[in-house]
Amino acid sequence: MNQGGYQMNHSAEAVHHEGHEAWSTSAWPVVISFGILALSFAFMLQFVYELQLAAIIALGISLPLIIGGIAGWTSEGMGEGEGESLSFACMGWFILAETMIFLAVFVAYWYGRLGAPMWPLPGSVPLPLLIPVIMTVTLVTSSLTIHKVQDYVKEGNSSGAVKWLLLTILLGGAFLGMTGYEWAHLIGEGFTIKTNLFGTVLYSITGLHGSHVLVGLCIFLAGLIPVMKGNMSVGFWRTAGLYWHFVDIIWFFVVSQVYFW
Amino acid sequence: MNLKEWIFTTDHKRVGVLYLIGSIAAFVVAGIMAVLMRIELTTLGPTITDSATTYNVWLYVHGAVMILGFQIPALTGFAANFGIPLMIGAKDVAFPRLNAFSVWLFFMGVIMALLTFVVPDPPDIMWTGYPPYSITTSGNTALYTFTVLLIGFASILAGINFLTTIIFMRAKGMTWNKLNIFTWTIAGSFVMQLIYVPVLGVAVLLISFDKYLGTYFFDPAKGGDVLTYQNLFWFYSHPAVYVIFLPFFGLLMDIFATFAKNPIFNYKTAVYGGVWGIVIISGEVWIHHLYVSGMPDWLRIGQMVTTLMISVPVGLLTISLVGTLYKGSITFQTPMLYALGTAFLFLIGGLTGIPLAVTALTVNLSETYYVVGHFHYVMAVSGTLAIFAGVYYWFPKITGRMFNERWGHIGFWFHFVGANIIFWTMMDVGVRTGLSRRYYDWAQWPEVANEQMIMTVGTGILAIGFVIMLFNWLLGAIIGAKAPDNPWGSASLEWTTTPCAPPHGNWATPPVLADDWSPYAYDKRKG
Repeated sequence: MNQGGYQMNHSAEAVHHEGHEAWSTSAWPVVISFGILALSFAFMLQFVYELQLAAIIALGISLPLIIGGIAGWTSEGMGEGEGESLSFACMGWFILAETMIFLAVFVAYWYGRLGAPMWPLPGSVPLPLLIPVIMTVTLVTSSLTIHKVQDYVKEGNSSGAVKWLLLTILLGGAFLGMTGYEWAHLIGEGFTIKTNLFGTVLYSITGLHGSHVLVGLCIFLAGLIPVMKGNMSVGFWRTAGLYWHFVDIIWFFVVSQVYFW
Repeated sequence: MNLKEWIFTTDHKRVGVLYLIGSIAAFVVAGIMAVLMRIELTTLGPTITDSATTYNVWLYVHGAVMILGFQIPALTGFAANFGIPLMIGAKDVAFPRLNAFSVWLFFMGVIMALLTFVVPDPPDIMWTGYPPYSITTSGNTALYTFTVLLIGFASILAGINFLTTIIFMRAKGMTWNKLNIFTWTIAGSFVMQLIYVPVLGVAVLLISFDKYLGTYFFDPAKGGDVLTYQNLFWFYSHPAVYVIFLPFFGLLMDIFATFAKNPIFNYKTAVYGGVWGIVIISGEVWIHHLYVSGMPDWLRIGQMVTTLMISVPVGLLTISLVGTLYKGSITFQTPMLYALGTAFLFLIGGLTGIPLAVTALTVNLSETYYVVGHFHYVMAVSGTLAIFAGVYYWFPKITGRMFNERWGHIGFWFHFVGANIIFWTMMDVGVRTGLSRRYYDWAQWPEVANEQMIMTVGTGILAIGFVIMLFNWLLGAIIGAKAPDNPWGSASLEWTTTPCAPPHGNWATPPVLADDWSPYAYDKRKG
């Protein structure tokens, strides 16, 4: 999420060459890559080969690699400064790609729904409408609190930033909790991902969105420790805020297309 | 050599070399699959395997690895990484760690693809993975999904990195109209990657969802639609042709300019009409892959129009390419030989695509070997020879040494002759006999026996060319003569301002360019 700036001489571990500038290195990208490979293995062992124990072992290898890798990367790169304005622009490009991911899933949904001989499909249940409204309010509020964090970071006020950041994380966590509650409720009514296309779409889209909320929370947690230590990067938090606003805006599409259509 | 400095490197040149090693390894594996398929098809009936499934697995590895593991990473990975920062005067890319992350995710994707040979139930779904077969097969569709996701994610990260780099990190004085045309094509290519790769990612993820989690995205019985996949898939996979085409064409144009000692002909038209014209139209042509899947006539006609329309920007680029040679003082060193060969192959490939765009013809040609011949000309061999041209072109820059010129020429002629023998024959049998592609046997078409043999011989010639080239590279890198700083006499920034094998950081202080500087300032030199 946050990368080093474009100043080149800031390697974590500068290895010196005779007569040359040191070649910069970082182990964290390699660590995270292997973590992601192990995560893919975990999925395959669980769902393709149904070897649950092996899947858990793969997951057990994967998660420490990914989490440790992100933590290492963040502490190595945070506050390098030079890349700050660039990371904001970079997030803009990333959001273009993210938008296309959501658009593709929505297209699959629209394609099925508009071509369906009848709607709702047999097996669908009426969705609760109060929870999505509360979730929307929660997420919009957290979009405001992250803005507050950015303001405090800009002022250099560490304790204020930590306070509002914790509130943001709490709101994001509450949002995920409500998603979980709602899923449990619907599954209890017998409406699962395997019921029909609408079940498929509901769980896939809210799950996809929820995974983005989770990533946002991970970004906040990864940045929390440096902020507590007083290491505050304006660029990092502007960029993180931009991502969070994106997650917020996508939620409006999810709510309007899945719950209120 | 310090191995740790290579594995953990964040330097763009070394990341580029890692991409090159990975993609050439992928090329070798996928190339062996092609050889196996050709040997199998040489004689009627089982030749080296009696299992259609085994043949399908070869077909899967060949297609998926050639495109996702070789061509795209070689161009947007190796060539972009090695070339762009040096060409725009940047000390590195905007986010060096993210860059290292991209190449390692790509390696993980290649590992995923190679697992095909290890798992008991390898994927047999071609590189397209169409449902319902990909959902009902006993093969491991998840392996395909993860291969695409890992390499796709690597592409997205490379895209955001390089677009940021090109926009914000150009040297002082490097204005937009002074960029190498290769830089423009890489920018266009990455914009397309950012728009289209996520859609492919979703498509392949959803087939694994349908297969393993029991969802119904592509199951009409439960409200899904099987054509959704084809639309999502080709929404990426047709533009993928342009993702490959643009950088290889940019590379060709830069090589042409260097070896003809001429500025790019019609530079602005090529950039703003050609490159960005392709980027804009690329998203409106994918439905021509579904001509025979069933669609209303008005959509067929509309797609025919947009598909033919994209010939216009491609034509603009071709005019610039050929115009660059006009009145040039051309030298035929190995990179230029490969580049000229590519231009010829691309001409054949491009022209034979026009009948496929026309609906009345394509319903007859669809699923024949004509299609295979066409897209191998336009994409497979053109792209591949252009990549080889690029490696030869930058070989002194990468290794600091020279390759053997004579063996370079010999290798080229093997490549060029072999490729034409195979793919011209394919188009020929496709039109004349309607020989159906993808089949692992040809009992229905006994009249093509000679052509099958000819194509296999062509494959052997092509393979010899590759082996010669690979040895030329390896030996050149180890025992080649020390390279001068600008062996081709190029005016481009990477040749004029850095030594061969540039150090980390490329320049002690980034270059500042004069007002009249241009990467193609050859007129003055000719005097």
